[in-house]
Amino acid sequence: MNQPLLKVYKLIVCYGRVSALKCIDFYVNDNEIVGIAGPNGAGKSTLLEAIAGSVPVREGHIEFLGHHIQNWSVIKRRQLGLMLIPQEGNIFPMMSVKRNLEVSVILSDRGSREKLIDYVYQIFPILWDRRKQTANTLSGGQQKMLAVGMGIASNARVMLIDEPSIGLAPKLVTKLFDTLQKIREDTKKTIVLSEQNIKILNIADRLFGLEAGEIRFDEKKENLNRDVVKDLYLGSIS
Amino acid sequence: MLLNGIITGLIMGGILSLPVLGVAVIYGITGIPNFAIGVIGVFGGFITWYFLSISIGFAIIIGVVACFIVGYVVQRILLTPISEKGGDSTLFFIITVSLGFVFEGVIRAIFPRPNISLELPRLGTITFAGFSVEGFKIIALVFALGTLAVIRIMEERTEAGKSWQATSQNLKLAKLVGINTTQVFSIASGIGCALACVGAIFWGSLYNLELSSGWDLGFIGFIVAVVGGIGNIWGGMISALIMGMVISFSGYLLGGEWQSVILYFIVILVLIIAPKGILGSERSL
Repeated sequence: MNQPLLKVYKLIVCYGRVSALKCIDFYVNDNEIVGIAGPNGAGKSTLLEAIAGSVPVREGHIEFLGHHIQNWSVIKRRQLGLMLIPQEGNIFPMMSVKRNLEVSVILSDRGSREKLIDYVYQIFPILWDRRKQTANTLSGGQQKMLAVGMGIASNARVMLIDEPSIGLAPKLVTKLFDTLQKIREDTKKTIVLSEQNIKILNIADRLFGLEAGEIRFDEKKENLNRDVVKDLYLGSIS
Repeated sequence: MLLNGIITGLIMGGILSLPVLGVAVIYGITGIPNFAIGVIGVFGGFITWYFLSISIGFAIIIGVVACFIVGYVVQRILLTPISEKGGDSTLFFIITVSLGFVFEGVIRAIFPRPNISLELPRLGTITFAGFSVEGFKIIALVFALGTLAVIRIMEERTEAGKSWQATSQNLKLAKLVGINTTQVFSIASGIGCALACVGAIFWGSLYNLELSSGWDLGFIGFIVAVVGGIGNIWGGMISALIMGMVISFSGYLLGGEWQSVILYFIVILVLIIAPKGILGSERSL
């Protein structure tokens, strides 16, 4: 059995006195798409932010590529290959689409930057059409594509995406999920996404159920029952 | 008189615009109001005065570089760590005002005189429509406009400029995409303090530099920046020019004693009508 690429164990994160994550064990294998499901307030965003370094860890370890990174700065984790696409505030609003992408490739060497941005345009042709437009004038769906595009451009090995489907029309959700699958195949990236949308079952290899800061289940796709997942979203699993 | 008023206004506006730009760059990028920048600028002015006998160019460079370093270090070891811990504006007000008093004390302790005047070369006279003005007086304005242009070009062309823009628009995301925002903050603070120093040097060449001049420079800088839309360098520049005109014309029409009454009355009026300033206080470069 191969070592997981990213491993979180006994992770505790608190906001003041409120504990958001209570001793979480979580892992991701190379080139997997892993979903984190759970109702609002379950700690999905907190888990992703703790991995990316946006929130401090109280106790526990985060291991990535053989390094214990739980006390590393955001930039150092980014350099090692982790990139978080937050749920909100995931674009630079007053910059053009093109400029947003240019900023995202800042850590890559000059030779590969253009290729990375070209690949984003290939995946999301609409961004090419809108490349000169200011980012905050894009539609919600296009802004989401830009945010994911910035994640791709960043060339990070692991993309952590916080609830990409929120605010998207059902058709767009399907399209976005298909695109994520294509990105995984094209780039050999590993993708972790938190989701409340049941369509996550169509793309995730594995699904973690998170509720009230604790892991409720960790199942491969084939073992998952849609009803179990639906119950989790309603917060009624005991 | 009209032309006379306009030229005096441009001179005033030019000098005002330097600390205003300093405030705007620092606040625009870091989101931290630093009320000490005027005093730090005057500190640089005193350093320049001290080295004046060696060579004017050298003295100015020493003063400006010293201010850049002070701004950089203060941001790096004091202000950025506090902001990471979630310090609010009130805390920054107290801390940076205290810092200003520290630097005022340092100036008093180091330099033998509390009151200096900086002799700058006159740089000839410029005659325009029968009115002549000494060249050095409009250099402040030229310098401010040049600085604006340089910042703008850097934003368009350089990676550093893009990083500043990104940091100012979305700090959290800037970190996530891999920008060293701590360094961006330090450089912004250094540039802001350096601009305040250039402002202090021009101020000291037209008037006198006193220990307390830093507070005048800093607070006027802040007020004018807020009127323009704090953190917005274009708004700050426009606001500085308007305020320069206000000072100039109120002086001509009503006499010098009414200048500050008119100036601050207009400040209050503008802020009642447009609380976010002339161009809005979107933190942006």
